[in-house]
This record gives sequence, C-alpha cells and structure tokens, in this order.
Amino acid sequence: MDQKHIRNFCIIAHIDHGKSTLADRILELTDTVQQRDLKSQMLDEMDLERERGITIKLNAVQLKYKAKNGEEYIFNLIDTPGHVDFSYEVSRSLAACEGAVLVVDSTQGVQAQTLANTYLALDNDLEILPVINKVDMVNARPEVVKKEIENIIGLDCSDAPEISARSGLNVDQVLEQIVTKIPQPSGDPDAPLQALVFDSFYDSYRGVIALVRVRQGSLKVGDRIRFMASGAEYEVLELGIRNPKEVRLDALECGDVGWIAGSIKSIRDVQVGDTLTSAVRPAKEPLEGYRKMNPMVYCGLYPSDADKYEDLHEALDKLQLNDASLQYEPETSQALGFGFRCGFLGLLHMDVIQERLEREYNLDLIATAPSVVYHVYQTDGTMIAVDNPAKLPNASKIEHIEEPYVKAEIMVPDEFIGAVMELCQNKRGIFKEMEVIDTGRNMVVYELPLSEIIFDFFDRLKSSSKGYASLDYELIGYRSEDLVRMDILLNGELVDALSVIIHRSEAYARGSEITIRLKEIIPKQQFEIPVQAAIGGKIIARTNIKSLRKNVLAKCYGGDITRKKKLLEKQKEGKKRMKAVGSVVIPQEAFMAVLSMDDDRRK
Amino acid sequence: MTAENKPEHLYIHVPFCRTICFYCDFCHVVYTEEVADRWLDALTIEAERLRDVKNLKTIYIGGGTPNSLSDFQLRRLLDLFAHIQCEEYTVEINPESLDQEKVEILRDHGVNRISMGMQSSDPEELKMMNRHHTMEDLRNAVNLLRQAGIENISLDLMYSLPGQTMRILKKSLEDAVSLEPAHISIYSLTIEENSVFGRRGYTTADEDTEADMYEWICKVLPAYGYEQYEISNFAQKGKESRHNLAYWHYRDFYGFSAGASGKEGHLRYDKPRNLKAYIADPFTREEIPLTREEERFEHWMMSLRMVQGMDLEEFRERYGISFTECYPEITHSLIQRGLLECDGKYLRCTKQGYPIMNEILEEYL
Repeated sequence: MDQKHIRNFCIIAHIDHGKSTLADRILELTDTVQQRDLKSQMLDEMDLERERGITIKLNAVQLKYKAKNGEEYIFNLIDTPGHVDFSYEVSRSLAACEGAVLVVDSTQGVQAQTLANTYLALDNDLEILPVINKVDMVNARPEVVKKEIENIIGLDCSDAPEISARSGLNVDQVLEQIVTKIPQPSGDPDAPLQALVFDSFYDSYRGVIALVRVRQGSLKVGDRIRFMASGAEYEVLELGIRNPKEVRLDALECGDVGWIAGSIKSIRDVQVGDTLTSAVRPAKEPLEGYRKMNPMVYCGLYPSDADKYEDLHEALDKLQLNDASLQYEPETSQALGFGFRCGFLGLLHMDVIQERLEREYNLDLIATAPSVVYHVYQTDGTMIAVDNPAKLPNASKIEHIEEPYVKAEIMVPDEFIGAVMELCQNKRGIFKEMEVIDTGRNMVVYELPLSEIIFDFFDRLKSSSKGYASLDYELIGYRSEDLVRMDILLNGELVDALSVIIHRSEAYARGSEITIRLKEIIPKQQFEIPVQAAIGGKIIARTNIKSLRKNVLAKCYGGDITRKKKLLEKQKEGKKRMKAVGSVVIPQEAFMAVLSMDDDRRK
Repeated sequence: MTAENKPEHLYIHVPFCRTICFYCDFCHVVYTEEVADRWLDALTIEAERLRDVKNLKTIYIGGGTPNSLSDFQLRRLLDLFAHIQCEEYTVEINPESLDQEKVEILRDHGVNRISMGMQSSDPEELKMMNRHHTMEDLRNAVNLLRQAGIENISLDLMYSLPGQTMRILKKSLEDAVSLEPAHISIYSLTIEENSVFGRRGYTTADEDTEADMYEWICKVLPAYGYEQYEISNFAQKGKESRHNLAYWHYRDFYGFSAGASGKEGHLRYDKPRNLKAYIADPFTREEIPLTREEERFEHWMMSLRMVQGMDLEEFRERYGISFTECYPEITHSLIQRGLLECDGKYLRCTKQGYPIMNEILEEYL
C-alpha cells in the first residue's frame, strides 16, 4: 500500500491510565482480533506482563481500518513499555512512529509519566493526539483534565476524544483522528534502505527476529542486509507483519512496520535503535538516535547450588536473546563462588529478570544487593567504573568517588507534600523546585543519588502518599560524594558479597542496622558468630549470633528411626538452600538484607 | 546379634487411649470395648509368630494406654505372651486408670517394670495437656505397684511446655523425685503438626529457656542419684531400661500390633497405623530393606544418643569395617571441632556436642 494510507503510531500513558485497554479496543474495532479471541491486554504477551499489568517487551501489530472517507488504511500500532526503567526502548519505539495517542485518565489527570512520555514523543517529532479516558467513571472530570493538558503540556485539547476504553465509547473518534491528524510516512522508496530496529526477540527456530520500521527504501526476501552499528550482515530469509498473528510477506515497503528473520544467532547483532541497511547498496548514514543502552543498576547473580553455574549461564544467554539491555559477565565472589555480574536498566528490570530465571529456568538464585555504577578517581589520575562494591580499590588509592545523580520529578497532591519531601530529604535529596500544577497538585523536583532510589524509593513514595504520588526520573550526571565501602565480617571473615558503598555520614547507623538485621536472618550455628561492620578495617558496629544450644530429638526409640532420619534430611535440605561462606551458613535473603534496613528503624 | 539370629526384644503397641493428650500425634484411637476385642483377635493371630519362642530379653508393652483395656482384655493381652520367659517386662501405665485388680494382673503375668506417664505435677499444665490425673493419683498408683512387689518404676515427664517456667519445672521434678522412682525419662515438648497443640498453634518455650531447662535437668538429676545414660533418660544405678538400650544399640526387635515398628535382620518394618488395616491383616507391614550403609548410619544415629557413645569394637564386628574407616574425614573434623570424643573404646558426643546431636548427625548423611 502506498505511504498515503499508512499510519504508524503508538499509545503512551501513565501506568494504569488505560493504554493496554485502549489497544484491545482498537484491535477489536478494526476487526483485527475477534472478540472471542481477545484475552485482556492482547499486546502484553508474557505471563509476567499480564500479571503485573505492565508491558516489558514491545510489540507491533498491523490493523486495517476503513475510514469514514471510505478509504482503507493500514495502522501499525507499536506498543511501548510502560515503565521508567525502559525509557530508551520507549524512545526507540516512538522513533518508529509518526504519531502518538496520549491517554490520560480523566479521574487522575496528568501524572509524572504522562509528562515524561509526552516529552519523549515531542523529542521524536511525533504528532500527539490527546485522548481523555475513563469518562464513564463517577469521578471523571474530563474538562478539568483537558485544561490541565493544555496548561501543563500545551497541547490543544479542544477536540480530544472523551472515551471509555473499557466500554469502547468514542474509540471510533480516536481511529478517525489517527487518519486525519497523524502524518503519513514520508520516506523515499527509491533511496538506499534505512530501517529502524525498535525491538528484537529470539525465536528458537528462526533465530533473532528484528522488528523494524522502514524509513527509506524497501527490503525483500533474499536481500543482503547489514546492521550499521554492529556491522553484522545477513540475508533476509523471511519477513512479514503481525496482525497480531504472524503473516509472511515478500517485501516491506517504505513506511511499513514489520519483522525480519535471517538466521541471526546473536541478539548483540540486533541492537535496539540500530539502523538496518542494504549490504549491497548501503545508506550513507544511520538513522539518528542510536545509543548503546547502559545499565543503571547492577547486581551479582549466583546459583545457590554451585553445580548450576552452567545452567545459569545458559539461561542468561537465552534471556539475552530476547533482551538486549540485559548485560552480564562472569564474576567470582569469595563468598558465593562463580556467578555473574548483571546490569539492568532499573530495579523493575532486575526483578523481572530474576523472576524469569527462577520461574522459566527453574533456578535457585542468590542475588546480591543492587549497586549503581560509581566513578572512582584514583590517585594515579585514572578513573575506573565500579559496579560491585567489593571491587572498590583501597581507600589509599582513591582520590575521590562520584556517584550517579538523578533528577526526580514527583507529582504529588497537597496533603502528601510533607511526607514526600521528608522521604527525599532522608534519601540525601537536594530540593530543586516545586511547581503548583493546578489546584491541589504539585510537581516537586529533587536531585537524588541514584543509589538511594534504586531500592525501595518507589514503594516508600507510594506508601507515604497513599499511592497518589507518581515519579519520573532521569540521570543527570555524576557528583563527588564522601562515599566509603562498608564491609561485613562474619566470624571475622569478610564476606565480599555483603559489602556496600554508602555515604560516610550514614555509615554508623546503617552498620548497626545491617548487623542487627543479619543477626535476625542468619540461623544460630554450632558456634557463636560475631557479625561486624567495618570501614577500612575499623569496626564500626558489632553484634553476635549466639551459638545453637540445643538441636536434638527428645524421643528416639525403635519406631522413630524413619521419622528421625527424615527430620535430619529435611534439616540438611534446608541448609542446602543456604550458602556456606567460610564456616558460616547464610540464607539467601541475607544478601539483600544490607538494603532492606531502611527508615522503619530510623524513624 | 547377627542377622540370622532371632530378635531378643519385643514391642507391642496398644493403640487405645481413654482420652487424647494434646501433645500427642501417636497411633491411637479412643477406646471402645468392641474395637479392642477385635484388635485382640488380630493380635492373637499375629502372636502366633512367637509360639515357639521361649525366651526373650525384654518385652515392652507401650501405647497408647495399655491400661485403657478392660481387666479381661488386659489379661487376654498378657496371656498371649505368657509362655515367654523374659528378664525385663515393661508396661506403660497411665496413673488415673490403675487399680488393684490391674496391678495384680500385671504382676501375675511377670510384668516387673512400669513406665508411668506423669508429665508434670502442676494442675494447670496437666489440664493444658488434657491429662486427667493428679499428684494424688500418681502417689496411689506408685503405692499400689510397690505393694504388689513391682519396684522398678519409671516416670515420664515433660519440659519446655507452653508457658512453663523454671520454677514449675523444678516443682514437677522434685515431686517426681519424692516418689523415688528407679528411672526418670524427661522429654522436651515437640509440637507435632497433627497433635492438638500443633493444630491450635501452641509453641514450646523459647530455645534459650529450653536449653536452660535441659542443662539444669542434666545437672540436678544426677545429684538426686539418677545418672543420665541417654538424651532424655536418667536411672538409678543398674535401673537403665534394658529394652530401650536395645534400640540404642541398634539390636533387632519384634514390633507387634498397629502402629508398631520392628527390625529383624537387614529389614525394618512399620505395622499399619490404621487399626482397620491391621485388623484386616495382622501380618501386613511396610518393609524397609536396609543397605549396609543405611545400617551403619542408623547404628551410629542410635548409639550416639547414649552418654557412653558407640562401642567401636561392636561396630567393627557387625559390619566388618571400623567406624573411622567408614567416615574418616567427618569424624576427624568433628573431633577436631570438639563435638565428638573418642577414648579408644567408645566414640561419643562431647558435652558441647551432645545437645546439638542433630547437627553432628546431619554431617554423616
């Protein structure tokens, strides 16, 4: 079909504002999916996504829409991940579109991610169609919300459809506006091929499948192609679209959105944001905007059973086939043995990967506390990036340490401002500004160390605002701070996997919290275990796990042998799930304990 | 003691109780005369196995509550084994349902040792456990037995009970000692999932209290003349339970009736816990064949419970290999860490190792 009849768009929204529900309705109204086939949230494929109500992987479907002008249009709906962890992926899927449908919940109004996503869309020069959702709710206030959008974002909402994605009310208006307001693709069909890779996934039969948007030129089965950033070349063996079932085609034309397969073995060759071109007649320049995604958060993942190291390796390899933003490299811990240092886009990403490793690959994992990447300037003038506290050089070699800071924009109703500001203050936040958005709502801006918000900031924000505050953040650079490594010693032995990098001013309080917490978590053993927190060899906190005094079955007569043996086996099995570190056996949760001490005690 | 020889010990389980103690999940049903009759019919059939046995070292009739049976039934039960001469003949007794008649039946059948469930002398604690006897009942029972000439009496007690304090325990123990039994067994409470305690979510005393109590018991009973010879067992000189020692020496024993276990040669077996299944086929049993390795471990597991430890020579004779050859590294390491000790003849727990024996045994699994 000619480009005139193609519309490429995505739907953007704050979490729970109805993005997935609107996508479902659009699929239905365009007869793409029969009602009976429609599982709720059609585009969210993974179980985990549907369970958590979030979109992790992207998806693109082609819909046919007969517009009121009588002409038939092809809509390519590109789904975007709904979490701040995945903002680069969002920006790439936006870059594959000409327009975005901005869904705003008429009971909640503009939220932090509404703004963040809108700015991302504007950065990519998208036409934005505001849509007011959930107007059938009792507490809907569409007029107020429209004003809000006009005031805060500056988008004209005079003819913004007022819809209910749930019931389907006025969704047809959205479809019409997609035709009339979103520009058609405008590439040159005869130019050398330039196709934007906006997602990829692994298919066990066909290798890596790349999802692409053809910007210039076209491509067909049999073409030699090259990924410009990775330099990898392949032959296109299959290509097509999804509607949402896979449909094979002979060619993707200029302006199309589709998938290609070419027996691509490594997802590293198919980086999101890369440009696909012809190996025979390559484009001079790649499309703009590619950058290698850098993980923000790192943690060590270790199999609790050392024999499962290879299994973990394989599982990570397989997950990475589908997830180019997952990074990992082997690392060795004295305490935990062989494992991997894994980099994630954020905490949610980390959670999801861990959960998938445990669920889909049946692995029992020990995860160390997440860490950000510190820039360590050494006295010899060099700088090293440290993503594992255990790797921090000796204090005498350190000139200074810088840590990543984010600008956090928190949208919060009046009554919770105090609580939210207190939280930010406790997390070493630097207050920047506060803006009244409209009656009763404010945007509070803080600069915060990333390390302070990676763990439980989001949960705490929600609990201190009864769920009303919303957060968006972006990295703003590195700052010098008085940071130190705090080591934990069990029975006099340093357990590298428990080391953390913290601000010196907090060291004493956190040292005592961590040691107490470990005392609660680590079961009593045959001997007394001193638990110490130390900075540079100086003990700053100490407690003792008292030795186990009694563990013997009271009764064991002739008839108790079977039962008693079972009991011993169970006891042994229980310890298998723990990790022997030196002479001390440590349960898995201890390795996260260094983080979970926060403010409950401090308050 | 070789596998070819017949067992020299016999255990018979009486699966009836008049009331159910709240800590118990053992094999028992509430007594009814009719069911007990049918059970005795079944046991009569099973006892045929021992028709030609003239001598045993020990017989132990446990339960349940053997004296929940009627006088007639008790006589029927004891008659089944009356042709067997034995050195130690123990019957477990509940103090409240013991009378002159029963005592005489026991004595006349050669019963020469009584193990009596006392548990506590504190009325509140007894009530909490659903025990229906008093100190008075206990004293009367002991007197009846003594008058009938049964002097070898053991009392069972419990500690680490929910809410139990050291003071209450001391009182119970003193009350027990005042009755001058030959033997005292004292068990820390284990909350069994299927007991009333378990279902009601009761918990034992905390670990420190339990350990304090145990330390105190192990110190005070010897002062009263009761030497500890096993984790939970204390006896006047020469009054150790020979039957139970057979278990800890990992000797063979017959197990009769529903809920009993036995060991004969390279085989352990469990009789059905379900009374109906037992009555339907008194010979039915679930057999657990033992490998050489399992036997060695079980032998060690049982022997270690004795204060004297395991007789190394006996082990070598039975298995044709010395214990230290079987488990060289672990044993060495445990001795190094001060949890085991060896005097050349016996391998035993040290004072530190004894109360945490499960930790030691786990390493041998």
